[in-house]
Amino acid sequence: MKMKQRDKQKTYQWVGKRVQRKDGPEKVTGDLKYMTDYRYENMVWGRVLRAKHPYAKIKQIDTSRAEAYPGVICVLTYEDIPGFNGFGIVVPDQPVLCHDYVRCMSDAVALVAAETEEIAEEALQLIDVDYEVLTPVTDPEEAMKENAPMLHPSGNVHTHVQVQNGDIEKAFAEADIIVENTYISPRQMHAFIETEGGWGILEEDGSLTIRCPGQYAFRDRMQIARVLAWNPHRIHVVSNPIGGGFGGKDEITVQIYLALLALHTGGRPVKIHYKREESVIAGIKRHPFKVKMKTAAKKDGTLIANQVIAYGDTGAYASLGGAVISLAVEHSCGPYYIPNVDLNGYCVYTNNGVSGAFRGFGVNQVCFAMEQNIDIIAEKLGIDPIEIRKKNVYHQGGISSVGHRVTASVGTWETLDVAEKSDLWQRRHHYKNNPSEPWKKRGIGIASSFHGIGMGIGLPDYGAATIELLPGGRFLVGVCSEDIGQGNGTVFAIVAAEALQCHLDDIDVIQGDTKLTLDSGTVSASRSTYVGGNTILAAAPNMIQLLIHTAAEIFDIDPEFVEHRDGKLWKTIPVQGKEVLSYAEIYDYLYQHRRETKVEGHFMVPTAEKMIGKNVGMPHKVYGYQTHLVLVEVDMLTGETEVLQVLSIPDCGKVINLLGLEGQAEGGAVMGIGYTLYEDTVIENGLYKTTNFTNYILPTFKETPHIQTIPVESDEKSGPFGAKGIGEVVMIPIIPAIVQAIYDATGARIRHLPATPERVYQAMKEQGMI
Amino acid sequence: MRVSEIAMVTPKTVMECLMYLSNRGQDARLLAGGTDAIVQMKEKVGRPKIWINIGKLDELRFIREVGNEIHIGSLSTHTELANSKLIRSRASVLAEAAERVGATQIRNMGTIGGNIATASPAGDTLPALYVLDAELELQSFAKKRRIKIADFFLGPRRTLLQNDEIITKIIIKPMQENEIGIFEKLGPRRAQAISIVNVAIKLSMGSKARQCLAGKIAFGSVAPTIVRASKCEAMLTLGLLTDQHIEDIGKVAWREVSPISDIRASAIYRKDMAGALLIRGLYRLMKRWEDQ
Ligand SMILES: Cc1cc2nc3c(=O)[nH]c(=O)nc-3n(C[C@H](O)[C@H](O)[C@H](O)COP(=O)(O)OP(=O)(O)OC[C@H]3O[C@@H](n4cnc5c(N)ncnc54)[C@H](O)[C@@H]3O)c2cc1C
Repeated sequence: MKMKQRDKQKTYQWVGKRVQRKDGPEKVTGDLKYMTDYRYENMVWGRVLRAKHPYAKIKQIDTSRAEAYPGVICVLTYEDIPGFNGFGIVVPDQPVLCHDYVRCMSDAVALVAAETEEIAEEALQLIDVDYEVLTPVTDPEEAMKENAPMLHPSGNVHTHVQVQNGDIEKAFAEADIIVENTYISPRQMHAFIETEGGWGILEEDGSLTIRCPGQYAFRDRMQIARVLAWNPHRIHVVSNPIGGGFGGKDEITVQIYLALLALHTGGRPVKIHYKREESVIAGIKRHPFKVKMKTAAKKDGTLIANQVIAYGDTGAYASLGGAVISLAVEHSCGPYYIPNVDLNGYCVYTNNGVSGAFRGFGVNQVCFAMEQNIDIIAEKLGIDPIEIRKKNVYHQGGISSVGHRVTASVGTWETLDVAEKSDLWQRRHHYKNNPSEPWKKRGIGIASSFHGIGMGIGLPDYGAATIELLPGGRFLVGVCSEDIGQGNGTVFAIVAAEALQCHLDDIDVIQGDTKLTLDSGTVSASRSTYVGGNTILAAAPNMIQLLIHTAAEIFDIDPEFVEHRDGKLWKTIPVQGKEVLSYAEIYDYLYQHRRETKVEGHFMVPTAEKMIGKNVGMPHKVYGYQTHLVLVEVDMLTGETEVLQVLSIPDCGKVINLLGLEGQAEGGAVMGIGYTLYEDTVIENGLYKTTNFTNYILPTFKETPHIQTIPVESDEKSGPFGAKGIGEVVMIPIIPAIVQAIYDATGARIRHLPATPERVYQAMKEQGMI
Repeated sequence: MRVSEIAMVTPKTVMECLMYLSNRGQDARLLAGGTDAIVQMKEKVGRPKIWINIGKLDELRFIREVGNEIHIGSLSTHTELANSKLIRSRASVLAEAAERVGATQIRNMGTIGGNIATASPAGDTLPALYVLDAELELQSFAKKRRIKIADFFLGPRRTLLQNDEIITKIIIKPMQENEIGIFEKLGPRRAQAISIVNVAIKLSMGSKARQCLAGKIAFGSVAPTIVRASKCEAMLTLGLLTDQHIEDIGKVAWREVSPISDIRASAIYRKDMAGALLIRGLYRLMKRWEDQ
């Protein structure tokens, strides 16, 4: 509500308006060429040989038949790696090319470059790998047992994250109600429109260019350099534009393969572009979780204790698994204050593919559990589900369940209040009592969640932007953080246009290029509006200083007598000559005098006061909050669930682009619907049962309900114009909200996602509803 | 066979096509809309040496009433079927089935001939064709033959079609004034989904409320080929189709089917869903009949 006052004080020209995305038309019409759309005359094709078994010892690799095959240019194995044979954002435990063991079907064993894609594929069949097949470890709890085969020297538990506060036993003893359940969540696939792929080119000057969609060009460059044992400055990474990321391009995808192959193709550009089938096997996925949660409350609905054990299946390699589990633990109690907690998360190695970053980053899985437990408590105590949440939320300045004081803005209560006052909630009985056909039932569900912005305490989290004055008085804003589909480029332009008092069309944005932009950190952790916006706001005053000082020089007066107003430079004292200068005139002057027209701005992400235990990254200082309210209809004959209406209520701080926010809220809702009702990458005994989009069921437009977005704008002092981040949390509480709505409709509780028609039907049958 | 090395010929007439087939039938494969054939080619299934692209044979793209029959050219697309006035009014169950195939793009490309020749147990037009007593005209350079649809299928992806033959048309019996029909499909989602179970129902209604004089029921995706549900069909006429009687018929359905478990659904669920879809279809049919 504070924001309203602030709005009155400040009117913005661009911020908060509905601004069409700068990259919208070319993406919608298909005019934009993604990097993987390109072809070159003298190009060659690269392909990757994958493991044949989920777990096996490599006895021998013989590439001679493949090398002799007509049209093959090179065949590479681990022996051809000049530097370190590994990658991984936190712990580089994933071999680039396996040499002793394969630990999952995603593992790469060899690379081929050939004249055509078909020849490359045929050559893969000619690489003879002699395996000693081992029994795969396919269940995290089994993997944690003493006698399980050790997949890595450090053991199968990659990390154990623990937070303990208060006295959990005492609290359980004093509780009026205890609810305990186990929740299982699926292996969601990012399913971006553009599968992993790109180009590697060895330039004439001996440097390397890697054109490959990614979520952090500078880190990709570092990981490539480590494998090549090269100075990173000899590698130019271009990572934008991207046909979707969602976290799936946060880790290395094909960059290193491209680099290795490019060194062996005599300067010919090499392209890799996964087919969907290969992307399914090779790409990282969301961690499937098993969450055991025991939650206690007093009669009046006050939550007093929560005990959580979460097992995350990280697959064969760490990637960001440790961080995912840490975030899951940090968020496992929801945006509520529970004084007594014992929270445990285990990140466990198995032979099930590789899990890593994915929008939500561990929070989806625990939110599913927490919100269900709260709902069950509310129902048993006869308390309204909104009221119990309002009662337990922490407010700004309050203490979170992991035990730190939350100093940044908190809008959870307001999001719940908006939900409560909505037509859907007020007239819920009316909506529920009118199913479309007599054998269908309707239900309503509500849930809230939150999500940390940025990396959290103890991790380097910074950003940098450049602003360059261009001919005609336009500006080029450079922020490396890629536009992975969320529309951050448009946000950067809005922030710059607002700060520089110019028209949005006078801002060009460049992203994802290690030569043309500065390192601005990852595109992940819901951070790019918050961090990118702040870096631009750090750079803009430098640009304005440059404009003022240059104007002063032209006016031949002291800079203090130059005023920057309405996108122009005004003289405030009466001396001879021009009264006012445009940006274009300033540019011309600087150009004529051969002067630099580019400035920089840097920003360090503020962190919380102290770390929770030894958990690096925990807690965050700033969180985005979100409530979802949904209406569903279940066919009692078949178990089919249709989501009819979604009310998405984000607290993202000040909205920078209302249209962009709606895009995120709608896309997030649909992704959440997919996660809840349809999507799962099925792996059995380490082998993928899911092959492509024939059996990986994504929601289509027909599964897309009416979605309304009502933002709550809690003012975050540390954010650009008061903004926080929203990219992830917009897909989270909808998950339990749908599950609760199914319960409300049918009386059956779903504890295993996705809630496919068969699962819902089974649950109704087992729980005696039909 | 590399995809890049597969040849393609595009005959201008059916006779030209049949001539190719009589010479090169062994090495060739027909390509209509390509929505099954191309997917299989990518999966390295049934890659021919030559594609015979029949997509341009407009002689096989028609829907017309001929005497007591409706003749459908095998190259008619699902969109054409779903939009045809004739099919919508006289064979509505087929229009409904065609409308539930894939999504718009697939319906614009995919043909009824392809749907039949692919012989997938989940093919959506097939149950509708069964209850409409469809017959197929198969033609080779030397001869023409007409066979009942139920005789055409030998098993999943196996049919009577010889490699010098093509399906030229599909002949169905139009529905009468007192006949109503419905197609019900359960897929993992509402569009672009392979059926977990589907069913086509055609009923002849009597003069009394909810009186059924005769009916045909065909299930898909629950056996190696489409199955007619003879026990359920017999029950249709045992009493008025009250909600209770409909539910009783539904309870028998599982005995008509012999599904398998696969990534889309378990066999048990499919058995239950045969009944559920039958009940849902009959409920909806009764509502339509009463609203008429
Ligand atoms: C994304 C997607 C979704 C789909 N959804 C559905 C669905 O919901 N329901 C469904 O039933 N199917 C579905 N299909 C399958 C397919 O679209 C249909 O079976 C379609 O009717 C096939 O027709 P076509 O013309 O494309 O056949 P083609 O692919 O051209 O041919 C299929 C086979 O039939 C043969 N053939 C074609 N025409 C003739 C002819 N006149 N005489 C003899 N043989 C012939 C070909 O040689 C080939 O073996 C889907 C396919 C895709 C790719």
